[in-house]
Amino acid sequence: MVEDGSYLYNEAQEEKNGEKTPDSLHEKCKTGIEELDRKLSGGIPVGNSVLMVGSSGSGKTTLSMQFLIDGARNGERGVFFTITEPLFKLIKNMENFSFYDKKLIEEGKVNIIDLRIISDRLGLDTEKYTVEDVNALLDVLKDIADELNVKRLVIDSITALCYRLQSKEMIRNFIFKLGASLASMDCTSILTSEVPPNEIKYSQYGTEEFIADGIIFLGDVNRRGDIIRTLQIIKMRGTAHSRTKSAMSISSKNGIELAPLLKSRE
Amino acid sequence: MSNTIIDGLRERISSAMTLNQSVGIMLPGNNYSDLTQALFEFIYSKPKTAWVYVTITNPYGDIVKKFGNMLDKGNIKFIDGISRAAGIYEINPNCTFIESPAQLEKILLEIMSAFRDLENDVQKYLVIDSLSSLLTYNNVSLVTEFFTHLSNRTKLEDIHSISLSIEEEMEENINKILYLKSNKIIKVRESFI
Repeated sequence: MVEDGSYLYNEAQEEKNGEKTPDSLHEKCKTGIEELDRKLSGGIPVGNSVLMVGSSGSGKTTLSMQFLIDGARNGERGVFFTITEPLFKLIKNMENFSFYDKKLIEEGKVNIIDLRIISDRLGLDTEKYTVEDVNALLDVLKDIADELNVKRLVIDSITALCYRLQSKEMIRNFIFKLGASLASMDCTSILTSEVPPNEIKYSQYGTEEFIADGIIFLGDVNRRGDIIRTLQIIKMRGTAHSRTKSAMSISSKNGIELAPLLKSRE
Repeated sequence: MSNTIIDGLRERISSAMTLNQSVGIMLPGNNYSDLTQALFEFIYSKPKTAWVYVTITNPYGDIVKKFGNMLDKGNIKFIDGISRAAGIYEINPNCTFIESPAQLEKILLEIMSAFRDLENDVQKYLVIDSLSSLLTYNNVSLVTEFFTHLSNRTKLEDIHSISLSIEEEMEENINKILYLKSNKIIKVRESFI
């Protein structure tokens, strides 16, 4: 169902045959990015797993961190599992943003965990995972999330995790186990997915999108040599949402911000 | 530079802004410096109002050189879309520098962000200097779309606006939008001042 050419009501609403809007069916988890929450009719439905897709430098990590920090400010504990960047580098980058609050990290309201250190402590080969390794890692992720009682979880990135698996079959099995694991947790999650620049695909291995309740695509458009960052919600189960591409800005003062993308082409 | 022209322009800006929320000023290129002088004098005379001045025509540094004595009231913030593109890497807390005048969405965001930082009860004003300069770096339809979005946002947020355009550099389509979106158009003619 399309409203105003830009808003889609998804299956959840259709199933209800118009009796209730999807917005009334699900509690929302605000991302902390005002315009994005507006596009999502209030936020990501609580419990959803969202694939945040983009090439290097598209803003996946910043957006995910802003999501966690905003949650922590509103009393929702979060955890950020990184496998792409060392902790010190990640924190150093985040310190440039005014939304970053060291106190939230020190108080354990936002927990940043390097998956390579966990792998190391589990005695796993940090570069190559076997089926057993992956199962052990998933158990640890779930234990940490349960123990910390987190309401928001980020894995940055699912692509880097899959890269350590040896076959497509292993990757597929891991993705589906991860999906099941996330579904059993009482939290809203963002999984970042790296794709090559200028390609419209949502994952490196073609499987990641199947476990996601939502997909947010971070891309860019080239305007006379200026790269304009863009954000587009491809799908989001459980809420009415815009599918219009927005211009996205990342600034140290305001973090991620969205503006209408000017449609006129050169 | 004639004081009579500047006084006359300031007078016209003042009366137009008293009665209208959005004012478009169309002027010949040779009156541009008189008009900016009149505009900064007007801004200086309103210390209790808050202004955001978007400059695409002259770099912020150049404005400070010419009008620095009128910028010390603390009631004006700048958004400079031209310096970085010209390779000038200045940093100033009173000015936000945009990478390129083609980044219209970023200009839009910075304008709204500058106003968001202000207290609610202060009267807010925006100057776009100028639509014709934006046309140097963007095509007509992009500038038209940008100006339409901007006008809609400023109206919704109760922000008064002054949009400048140099007649010789303007395109018909943008003139139409300027007429459509402005409550009042001032056409600068020396004979009228």
